[in-house]
Amino acid sequence: MKFDPADLLAVLPALWLVLGGCALALSEVFLGANPKRAYQPWLAAAFALLSLGTAARLAPESAHAIFGGAATADGFSAFIAVIVAGATALSALSAGGALREAGAERGEFYALVLFAAAGMDFLAMAADLVVLFIALEAMSLALYALAAYRRRARNAEAALKYFVLGSFSSAIFLMGAALCSGAAGSTRLADLANVPAGGSGAGLLLLLGAALLLVGLAFKVAAVPFHMWAPDVYEGSPTPVAGFMAAAVKAASFAALLRALLIAFGHAHGAAGPSMWEPIVATLAGATMLLGNVLALPQRSVKRMLAYSSIAHAGYLLVGVAAAGLGDAPTATGAVLLYLATYAAAVIGAFAVIGLVERGGDGAGADDLDRFSGLAQRHPGLAAAMAAFMLSLAGVPPTAGFIAKLYVFRAAMAAPLTGLAVLGVLTSVAGAYYYLRIIVYMYMRTPDGETAPIARHATAGVAIAAALLIVVAVGVGPESLAKFAIASAALASP
Amino acid sequence: MMLVATIFLPLVGALFLLAIPGDAKALHRGVSLLTSLVTLGLAVALWTNFDGAQAGFQNEVQATWAPSLGISFHLGIDGVSLLLIALTAFLGPIVVASTFHAIDTRVKEFSIALLVLETAMLGTFAALDLVLFYVFWEAMLIPMYILIGVFGSERRIYATVKFFLFTFAGSVLMLLAILFLYGKLPEGSRSFDYGALLTLSLSHEEQLWLFAAFALAFAIKVPMFPLHTWLPDAHTEAPAAGSVLLAGVMLKMGTYGFFRLAMPLFPEAALAAQPLIAGLAVTGIVYGALMCMAQSDVKRLIAYSSISHLGFVMLGLAVLTPEAVTGAVYQMLNHGVSTGLLFLVIGMLYERRHTRAMDAYGGIAKVTPGLAAVFFIATLASVGLPGTNGFVGEFLVLSGTFLGKAALAQAWSVIAAIGVILGAVYMLTLYQKVFLGKLSAVNEKLRDLSLREWAVTLPLCIAIVWMGLLPGPFLDLMKKPVQSMTERVVGKPAAPERPHFPGALPPKLQPPRLPWMNHVPSMLEGVKK
Repeated sequence: MKFDPADLLAVLPALWLVLGGCALALSEVFLGANPKRAYQPWLAAAFALLSLGTAARLAPESAHAIFGGAATADGFSAFIAVIVAGATALSALSAGGALREAGAERGEFYALVLFAAAGMDFLAMAADLVVLFIALEAMSLALYALAAYRRRARNAEAALKYFVLGSFSSAIFLMGAALCSGAAGSTRLADLANVPAGGSGAGLLLLLGAALLLVGLAFKVAAVPFHMWAPDVYEGSPTPVAGFMAAAVKAASFAALLRALLIAFGHAHGAAGPSMWEPIVATLAGATMLLGNVLALPQRSVKRMLAYSSIAHAGYLLVGVAAAGLGDAPTATGAVLLYLATYAAAVIGAFAVIGLVERGGDGAGADDLDRFSGLAQRHPGLAAAMAAFMLSLAGVPPTAGFIAKLYVFRAAMAAPLTGLAVLGVLTSVAGAYYYLRIIVYMYMRTPDGETAPIARHATAGVAIAAALLIVVAVGVGPESLAKFAIASAALASP
Repeated sequence: MMLVATIFLPLVGALFLLAIPGDAKALHRGVSLLTSLVTLGLAVALWTNFDGAQAGFQNEVQATWAPSLGISFHLGIDGVSLLLIALTAFLGPIVVASTFHAIDTRVKEFSIALLVLETAMLGTFAALDLVLFYVFWEAMLIPMYILIGVFGSERRIYATVKFFLFTFAGSVLMLLAILFLYGKLPEGSRSFDYGALLTLSLSHEEQLWLFAAFALAFAIKVPMFPLHTWLPDAHTEAPAAGSVLLAGVMLKMGTYGFFRLAMPLFPEAALAAQPLIAGLAVTGIVYGALMCMAQSDVKRLIAYSSISHLGFVMLGLAVLTPEAVTGAVYQMLNHGVSTGLLFLVIGMLYERRHTRAMDAYGGIAKVTPGLAAVFFIATLASVGLPGTNGFVGEFLVLSGTFLGKAALAQAWSVIAAIGVILGAVYMLTLYQKVFLGKLSAVNEKLRDLSLREWAVTLPLCIAIVWMGLLPGPFLDLMKKPVQSMTERVVGKPAAPERPHFPGALPPKLQPPRLPWMNHVPSMLEGVKK
């Protein structure tokens, strides 16, 4: 395999992240004695923004195979890199104040976030099962460490659970990859598409391998019935990490899922390969929307509630994936991309607010609904931002979440997946109930006793304001982002 | 552009309020009153520039919004939209001014919610793009949710969540139906534009499903029996201002939706569903009236009376004769004015005594004659006494139904007429229990209307009488839109048949014809008999 230096240009977004990670890790060595680490979140965000800027400039038409075909740099991967970089910047900023208050502000934290993000960039580009697996692990290993970052009992439990179940899913994925490459004699996704379908030995092997690959990725996106880890991990992880997981991990994993399914296993309108996965994904989508929304209803811990909500959102995204398998793939893929972007902004914003609100207390109950009581009286700006995030997650216009749902359901109706779309909108009504409940607490209840004061942090404030701007601006003027998403939707087929 | 200014001015006012600190209550009140007054002025200007003789939409504005999805920012008004916009803008300053005393905490949030709500409501009546319509439609929910949930009485949270979920659940299926319509347009020219979607030819079965999805959203909002259960809670728990807007404008969203979207887009289905809608409408009329008789809570009674009154509107729309539809639209305006006034006055009573129980009052006409007089006028309008606006609307609906060709038309109008009688019973009973009879000691000190309260109630009283005596200009505005709607659904009527009633009065002995009677061609003689 010949190394072409021009390939580095295509992975520049990821390189910025790696560079930033190195810089922050080294800053501890050289500047570790300096007790003021306030520059760290800003530095991490700066590197993430560099990555974002580079990714946004990688034009969609520049799609080409890199590293001898092991990865693809196309608009799709660039768009995911934009989401990942944006999520990284916002998460780093929202983590800043919280970590300092807990006396846990270290360069390692930001380094881990940036390394995980670099893994995600590669995950979105991977066109080879081995690259896919390595990127998946690069992302996951950093996240396991992040989940355990604060070394308290809850963190450790969450991290261990995440690690054990994550490794389990990685093993399943690896098994699937082995079977697939056995069937095709190659680890390239594109080569899998050439395996003859049907009853032949290779076809059966591929079928089994594809099923295992799907299970492995379904774990990562927390689709029902592979969702059990999510609530515990979200609840136990440091709050900014939970937001990062919900936004960025979801974006990267869905990118891998879409690319693997569409390139390796074909879709209804592509001639190549078996297209048997659409009904399976549709079933997963239905179950995920239903269970995620229903299980979110009784939660009192807001982080846990958002964990179930993130499962539910995985369901809506899977509707888009299923629509890509049945109907017009670029339209549906564009809808999924738009959905990932708007969901990332809203969910990171929400976790940033939780990070501020839960601060006074610690341990169990720190993120109980009660802590939001009367927030609108004490901190009207914070409450208004949280309300906007909740409405966006619920898909109420005029927020970004509504626009995203509109695109996804349009793709589903066109596919046609009418039944799934009906189930989707009906479960979103259940969703509205629990999102509204936070607004009820913030605006319509008064706190029972003393309320812990909420510290003001410039970093978290910037993160929340930026997320709010995205949620409102995309809701009011969706065209530019929507156009970007649609232009990025075409997967480069090698 | 004037239309855009009318719709978005309240929103601009709300954004301005965001920048004002929360403790400057007077400033918040002043700005919101000023904004709503200017909005009213703009609406009046819209009216004066409107040409009622012209069919189709006027003041159209079309701009791209999200072309990649085919959503455009398309606004425009016909006579019916104009009237409803005028109603909304008319109630705006009244509602704002009515709360100067009642709302004393969190004035900032209250004023912002009120102004945002006004923009959303005005926009809904003017939207000619279905997604834009949906956006305005849903955007209404949030401020109303805040108004009820923050400023309502004891069970406000239950009521507001129920309100939100009912309406949201109804409308999400409408969204899918809208998306389906979009997909039916030929590729390349796909859009959500109302005019484009009207050209679609849909199969009978498609129409039925799509009509069902739209009708569910609208029927919940109206609300039609048996989807009404959110309404008594929401109305009862809402602050007076919220109730006025909820009853005065928001319920009309549902009937307007039937008039503008559900029926013209799916004419076959509208005809097929006629017996069902009319049946539910008359059920609602009688059920609402009977429920009113069982209430001891003043506000709850008025809430149930809304169900009964909106039943008339739905009956008129379902029957699809021009007279009945005209009456239905007129009744939408009437209900906005008269029920709005009733809720205002009840709000004033509540401010004085802090109870909504009917037993707590009695005989208070002796100490508050002004309040009693205003309430009486609203009662008469609600009952539909000739000379008030309620009479014109109910009469047109009933006669239009009676002489319509719909199956069982006569039976429906008879049942609806029973509803009118029941209406008189419960409204007069209410008046009697609250204002007449023995005055108890606690009520001796009640104040009468203040100058500000006169200022907010008097315009509504004038509107009631005006619309009752001179309905002509209003009916003229409805003529074209009603005509195009009914023609689209039932087709052009054959040459008007003038039924001959043996023994009809010779022409010169006939009573003089008032302007609005022209809308009841010839059947007047028959009904007079």
